[in-house]
Amino acid sequence: MRLERWRYTIPLRLRSLFRRRQAERELTDELADHVERETAERIRRGAAPADARREALVAFGGVEQHKEGVRDARGWRPLENLVSDTRYSLRALRRNPGFTAAAVLVLGLGLGASTAVFSVLDAVLLSELPYPDANRLVRIYNQNSPTNLWSLSTVDVQAIAQQQKSFDAFGAARWSDAALSGVGAPEHVAVGRVSAGFFQALGVTAAQGRLLQPGDESPAAPAVVVVSHTLAGRALGGAAAAIGKPITLDGVSHTVVGVLPPERADLAGIRAVAWPALQLAAPTRRGPFGLRAIARLKPGVTIEAAARDLGGISERIFPLWAAGFQDKTARLTPVPLRTTIVGAADRSVRFFAGAVALVLVIAVANVGTLMLVRTSAREQELSVRAALGAARSRMARLVATECLALTLLAALAGLGVAASGVRLVATLAPGLPRLAEVGLDVRAVGFLAVTALLSALLVSLSPLAQVLRRAATPSLVPDARRAGTSRSSNRTRAAFVIAEFALALPLLLGAGLLLRSLLRLQQVDPGFDPVGVGSVSLGLPAARYPDDTARQIFWDRLAQRVEEIPGVVDAGLTTSLPPDNGGDVNNFDLVAHPVPQGTSQPVAPWVGVTNGFFRAMKIPLLDGRPFTPGDSGSAPPVVSVSRAWAARYFPGQPVLGQQLIEGGCTECPRTTIVGVVGDVHYLGLANGAEGVYAPLAQVQARSASLVVRTRGAPASVFSAIRAKVAALDPELPLVESLLLDRLRDSLADPRRWTAMLAGFAAVAVLLAALGIFGLMSYVVRQRRREIGVRIALGAQPGAVTRMIVGRGMRYALLGTVIGLALAAVQMRWLRALLFQVAPSDPMAVLGAAGVLLLAGFLACWLPGQQAARIRALEAISTE
Amino acid sequence: MSKPTDLVQGTLDLLILKILALEPLNGWSVGQRLKQLSADVLQVSEGSLYPALHKLEQAGWITAEWRPSENNRRAKFYSLTRLGRRQLARETEDWRRLSSAITAVVRLREA
Repeated sequence: MRLERWRYTIPLRLRSLFRRRQAERELTDELADHVERETAERIRRGAAPADARREALVAFGGVEQHKEGVRDARGWRPLENLVSDTRYSLRALRRNPGFTAAAVLVLGLGLGASTAVFSVLDAVLLSELPYPDANRLVRIYNQNSPTNLWSLSTVDVQAIAQQQKSFDAFGAARWSDAALSGVGAPEHVAVGRVSAGFFQALGVTAAQGRLLQPGDESPAAPAVVVVSHTLAGRALGGAAAAIGKPITLDGVSHTVVGVLPPERADLAGIRAVAWPALQLAAPTRRGPFGLRAIARLKPGVTIEAAARDLGGISERIFPLWAAGFQDKTARLTPVPLRTTIVGAADRSVRFFAGAVALVLVIAVANVGTLMLVRTSAREQELSVRAALGAARSRMARLVATECLALTLLAALAGLGVAASGVRLVATLAPGLPRLAEVGLDVRAVGFLAVTALLSALLVSLSPLAQVLRRAATPSLVPDARRAGTSRSSNRTRAAFVIAEFALALPLLLGAGLLLRSLLRLQQVDPGFDPVGVGSVSLGLPAARYPDDTARQIFWDRLAQRVEEIPGVVDAGLTTSLPPDNGGDVNNFDLVAHPVPQGTSQPVAPWVGVTNGFFRAMKIPLLDGRPFTPGDSGSAPPVVSVSRAWAARYFPGQPVLGQQLIEGGCTECPRTTIVGVVGDVHYLGLANGAEGVYAPLAQVQARSASLVVRTRGAPASVFSAIRAKVAALDPELPLVESLLLDRLRDSLADPRRWTAMLAGFAAVAVLLAALGIFGLMSYVVRQRRREIGVRIALGAQPGAVTRMIVGRGMRYALLGTVIGLALAAVQMRWLRALLFQVAPSDPMAVLGAAGVLLLAGFLACWLPGQQAARIRALEAISTE
Repeated sequence: MSKPTDLVQGTLDLLILKILALEPLNGWSVGQRLKQLSADVLQVSEGSLYPALHKLEQAGWITAEWRPSENNRRAKFYSLTRLGRRQLARETEDWRRLSSAITAVVRLREA
């Protein structure tokens, strides 16, 4: 029954809603037909035709009232009104293309940008990691202070695997580079050497074949590898065909046993294309610490319980290896996997979100101003409506509908902006994890809808208030435009503009501070001369270079042959390249000033080099002697230290001849300091330059970079170097780089931060300027007559301009001052991103305020000029 | 316009449904037929008739159709739907109960 009735009524209602014009025409026809019949009836009864029609009309009564009665009877009146209001709004918006375009553009950009940032925020921070029951996943670290965490060693991993009671599954991974050969040209690829438990803990399954099994980890087992879907597709003829094929990693042939699903480009933050089995050699000491351990908590086991379990293991293994590792405070600690992956990104994404939120609020304030100005311009129309009997609520609805229609258009524009902006945001935001998961999804569209609605609400609030006030005192006098401008609506408009300036300032100041910081960073002396220096990195696979002797012979030959290349001025080898490659970091203990028992030892970048490296990089020897061929693998260990290292550990004391214990190895021979060299920043330009150099022959390097200073462009000798390397070993993949590029890349992140914030700041300043321009143009229009009178009475054009500009600048100044106060609160956020610049840096503060006020001044100047050009007589006579 | 008898609230719908149950009619004829059938006792103003017709149409009880009328002009003819026929039966039943109850009360002799 119900259903059957709806079948009749729904089409009818929809028709009266959407085919209103036809329904209206039919109603008119129907009523006209009634009058015709009545007339005919009266004529039939004997009335004169002319009289009959008149009488029929009189008898019929008010046609419009009957129509209203029918319209009410048809129901859905509110919706009909909404449709007609929307139509009216869209028509009105079309009539003002300038206003509409500006508002839609401003709000659309704001909404689109925030939606794009939300998508990134959502994917990176808010949503679960893409593993089953991901909240049970933890990564295990060694930890000796709240901020100092490091990876695990073979000892740790084996102890946990044997003794833990908290985990369903536990696995370890070593992330490294490897030379991939046997499929196409040899190349460097990222590999994750993992134990079987690693896949099991994450709950990952294979797309083809199988994943690793515990048996694969034994050194006697055949070498097998799981490969990524991309590698299978790129080099092995697809996922299905890949199974059983051999690939060579670092000279060892591995059989492909499985292929990961396409969406698994990284596992637990490790981005690799090949996953061979991790084979752990029996440990000889507690370190080195290079393994990532991942575990899945048993259901019901809390992370605290797991921490107690692991703490017990730490205490049990400490005494066994105390000879080489004396930090008794170090504990094995579980950290939620999610925290370890998104933790570092947290700050950058929040920072991004904060900046974009400010821009959105400014955009909303801007459209709010535009809307207010527009409503004021329509005062007369609204007055006429009020006088004709439009209810206040009806007029308020009209204004609200217009705001809503505007926001709807802006939201559509915003959707377009967000769709294209989401990738842009992902590339702009420095160093984000989980970017593969970023995309415009239902949640993002929902966010856009909610934000748009909120914006519509904010934008419509003050015009609504204005209309409601206005309608209370309907006025049709031509002067209505002036009479209607209440003080409070002017105040609201001014408040919007002041808010825009106040919010733009922190963005501008932030951009200024980052720029100052970037300039400071660019002035940092990297400690070497990058011009004309190139590098070629390579690693020696253990299969063909099984021991230190074999490797050392290769390095010696390479250095020697490269020096023979014409165009090469100096050549040397190093295990790490400045400015951003710390390479190995080693702990040490000074024999003269040992650390107290049971506390952690200091650490420093530990770089194995040949003398040629110092010459090629133009790093000066300040004191002591260079390394000699006598400093061989069998000779007593020696090091050179940087000036910063010497100043830190032996301030004001002689450094040469001091001794240290390397890597906690108390039984090894002491290391003697034989030289002091210039400072080089291995840990990034913003960080200190304490470094230790050891002769390459004494560090047993498996991989190194050849550094060459050339007479011409370094790239010109790369092919000659390739030939020399190939002559020694044709299967080694090489990675070439220029030291100038490395120096530039080391500033890529700060530069991106600065560019990003500068972009936001520019938009904010533009919007604030647009806002004040709109407001002052309106003021000039509103006070046209008064200004005309002033000019007629002899006011100088300059004085008129000054009056308008002065008024606008009061708002701008007030906003700037409020903005400074806001900034003082917010700038703490930036501190971590700044290098040698205080958040209160006077140059940046003055610069930001200056730029903002200048923009405000220019934006007020145009309306001021306009005011000065008002012709007195015209202005007075037009109203 | 004279209003011989005010219609009891809600009875206009019943009367329109009843008249249209006899044959499809246009708005004007519905008014005329009501007057005729009630021997000029019941009369409905256009201000009530048309809203009532449209309301019944929206409710799905009657349906409207434009078709040529006797003088070859298009007119809107209303006819009863199946739902309307059920509604008519219900309202007729209600009316019988109501009117017999009122009649019974009114017939009581005053003591």
